[in-house]
Amino acid sequence: MTGWRATVVAARPAGLETIVPYSRSLLGCLADFARNRPESTALVMGGDRVSYAELCAMTMSAYNGLTALQLPSDARVALHAAKTPRTVALIVACLLARRPFMLPSTELGATALEELLEKADCTDVLTAEPGAGVGGLRVHKIDTTAVPPDGDLAGLDGITGPDVSPDATSFIFTTSGSTGLPKVVPLSFQAVERFTEWAVTKFRLRPGTVVLNYAPFNFDLCLLDLRATFKAGGTTVLVESERATNGKHLAELIRTESVEVVQSVPMLYRLLADAHDGEPFETVTHVIVTGDKMPAKLLPELPRLFPNARFYNIYGATETNDSFIHEITGDLTAAGPLPIGRPLPGVDALVLDADGVVVDGPATGELLVSTPFQTAGYAVGGGADKFVERDNGRVYFRSGDLVDRDADGVFTLVGRNDSQVKVRGVRVNLEEIEQVLLGHERIAGAAVVALPDDVAGLVIHAVVRRDTTEPLGVLGLRQFCRERLARAALPTTIRVVDDPLPTTSTGKTDRKAVIRDLLNGS
Amino acid sequence: MSCSDLIKQYVLDEFLPGVGPEELEADYDLRANGVIDSLGLLRVVTWLEATFEIPMEEVEIVEQDFTSLTSITRFVELHSAAGQSDVDYLGKAA
Repeated sequence: MTGWRATVVAARPAGLETIVPYSRSLLGCLADFARNRPESTALVMGGDRVSYAELCAMTMSAYNGLTALQLPSDARVALHAAKTPRTVALIVACLLARRPFMLPSTELGATALEELLEKADCTDVLTAEPGAGVGGLRVHKIDTTAVPPDGDLAGLDGITGPDVSPDATSFIFTTSGSTGLPKVVPLSFQAVERFTEWAVTKFRLRPGTVVLNYAPFNFDLCLLDLRATFKAGGTTVLVESERATNGKHLAELIRTESVEVVQSVPMLYRLLADAHDGEPFETVTHVIVTGDKMPAKLLPELPRLFPNARFYNIYGATETNDSFIHEITGDLTAAGPLPIGRPLPGVDALVLDADGVVVDGPATGELLVSTPFQTAGYAVGGGADKFVERDNGRVYFRSGDLVDRDADGVFTLVGRNDSQVKVRGVRVNLEEIEQVLLGHERIAGAAVVALPDDVAGLVIHAVVRRDTTEPLGVLGLRQFCRERLARAALPTTIRVVDDPLPTTSTGKTDRKAVIRDLLNGS
Repeated sequence: MSCSDLIKQYVLDEFLPGVGPEELEADYDLRANGVIDSLGLLRVVTWLEATFEIPMEEVEIVEQDFTSLTSITRFVELHSAAGQSDVDYLGKAA
């Protein structure tokens, strides 16, 4: 690869200035709204409404609790990402305290979580949930009720202070790896401010705009759903995780809360379409599809569900945040996959051909992106070769996604160059699951494949060859996997066989043959 | 067939093909072990509604009620219009 060099810690993209003055930062905005529009609703969950004044009071309470812990100034913490307003207050408190915080999935198995916390150097785990059972060495319960909502919010003044480095870490997300351990993706304050600034403008978020939050808190999608919404003084409606697959409930929530902006993986739209009673969602003005391929059958349902909305297909990765956008217009029944469109403002995209050479014009190959919102590199896990610096000084993320770019510069996803798949919007690596299964002492071979499913998009199936004549129970294997994998990565079925698994001519497991066998039921 | 046997058979047929009834313990965690995911839960709820005449519209669905065969059985016994656990289903004696 001429002209490329791998970097361990990627630099900030060159030529991108600090575009957001701190007076407009999220925290400054929260403080302003708490003073100027204290009664306006920041959060809705279940029957509860939390005003900006209340959210700020909860945040101050959490901030005090966090300060009282007297953690070393550079220590990272992990947050238990339970989906509640209390957790939101704790997150804002961490931002306020400049405390880097990691948001691991709440569905990560116990063994995997312990290992992740150790590798990521997060000895302290914070939770805002009084009754939560949370993994981790030192768990601290943080009280979000100690400051009354009409109390002194003077502490909020400190948040617009000059001492935040734009490059300091704010959010730390995790995403799936191929080795059995998630990759840890830190985002700087500046990266997040730039992103939320774009989202506020693009989706016309304003004081009072109602935005639905469907994704769990450990997903970067929440940067739009919550951070951008708070920046604009809007209202975020949280979908409770327990009711996230209940189409009727979701429809009722959108209607009763007069939701205007919806961002979700395709599954939400499938559930809404299935539960639809013919009454359209009139209040919705922006519908964002992201995180997964939009099924062609589902697409024509969108205008029926949301007659007053504009529709967007957005592409992004945790490492880079949103990178491409395609506004869906015209004939929605057209054949062929939905394009991901063109790069967002400030985003540069390259296509690498099979020889690793950057190609211009119409081309198919691996997508490399450099965004104003991207991470400076993995803190844990993942090869340094995923980030490459070009001669122009910009650092690009090797997405692993194969794209097709047409003569007009419109991009369409065509596949992957590895075994990563999306299950309900969650990145899952089939190899990672195979590695975990092979770690079982009585398994001699493992093949993990993804098969299409009408609702879930894809479901995962595992076939394992036992290294024993004794019975090998599927239920025990499930327990073994659960301790080591995120829930989305748990196979829907595990089949135990005695015969060797099919292999290709090069000796690798032949996943295509395994899929054929599964589809044929043999 | 008793209520608990019926639920067990349904879970085995629907989610654990190839697994024998003797393997599945009543307290095995079906949610944490990924046997019944959130979409699977919807299927279970629909099936319970139809099989045991449970008015799901009026019942709060809480994940903890569906973690194991034991908890699902308890849920059915509590909410079933057909009444208590000794009631025979499908017309067969338990």
